[in-house]
Amino acid sequence: MIRFNVHEFYVDLSGKGIIFCFSGPISQDVIEGIGGTLKQKMEIEDTDLNTSQKVFSIFVEQMQNIVNYSADRVIPEDRQEGEIRIGILIVGKEDGHFYVLCGNKISQENAETIRPQLETLTRMNKDEMKQLYRERRKMAVHTDEKGTGLGFIDIARKATGPIEFDFLPLDGDFVFFTIKAVI
Amino acid sequence: MEPITIKATKSSPFIHVDPAAHLIQIMGESYPENAAKFYGPILSSINEYLNSSGASRITVDMHLTYFNSSSSKALLNFLEILDKTVSQSKDIVVNWCYHPDNETIFEAGEEFRDEFPSLTFNFIERSSEVFMA
Repeated sequence: MIRFNVHEFYVDLSGKGIIFCFSGPISQDVIEGIGGTLKQKMEIEDTDLNTSQKVFSIFVEQMQNIVNYSADRVIPEDRQEGEIRIGILIVGKEDGHFYVLCGNKISQENAETIRPQLETLTRMNKDEMKQLYRERRKMAVHTDEKGTGLGFIDIARKATGPIEFDFLPLDGDFVFFTIKAVI
Repeated sequence: MEPITIKATKSSPFIHVDPAAHLIQIMGESYPENAAKFYGPILSSINEYLNSSGASRITVDMHLTYFNSSSSKALLNFLEILDKTVSQSKDIVVNWCYHPDNETIFEAGEEFRDEFPSLTFNFIERSSEVFMA
């Protein structure tokens, strides 16, 4: 019975063009491991270097966002390095295009900060994104905090169409945040 | 000053500062868990080296095959340090190496060049993308 269900799940995933599906604790090691395999797979399939670079890049930014911002944590908040946070990653192909999709729980407060940023990005063209990226990069303060706030702009710049996102309200002060970028 | 060498890892670049050759090299991929923490100490050492060096010309080889957005901020800080050195009457030549099929890296180099008009940028095509030190 278990075997049958797993097989069904497996067939369902590949039928939907899903190349990678990972749900669970994410650390820097997981990012490096999956990222390496993802690059290897694209290389074997002769994916053009520009495309594979963009896929890899969006993958890294989305995964590091989970590590930096997911509200689901495995270890206490006071540790700066080696943090493990929970999220879901899907890398797939639809209509001949790669896509990278990530989901994770975030605080309501975080959602209110992120949403307008993403909405602004969907209304921008590539040149405007480039300007914004350069301005923000200059302004960003590099302290011991891991994020610079440049990640979403970078994802939007490298995506082919506008990035898609969703904020699903959960119990308490939490929101399930999903972001999808097509390359 | 003694030479400094930082070995590459899967997510951080090889960095080499060679005071005798007046050379700084950064090569590989850069997406460490915490870019500020990774680059902070080495940038301080580089700053120290630049301020103490009597060389009139320093060469900087940058051959990055990928870097994430927070590394991009760190690299901007690095170039800012170089830019300040130029005003101390030192010539800085940045060799920005890129794979001919890697537009992202080429364009990223152009964007850095546009931020720092006083640094000399050479764009150099390199097909090999393998480093390990």
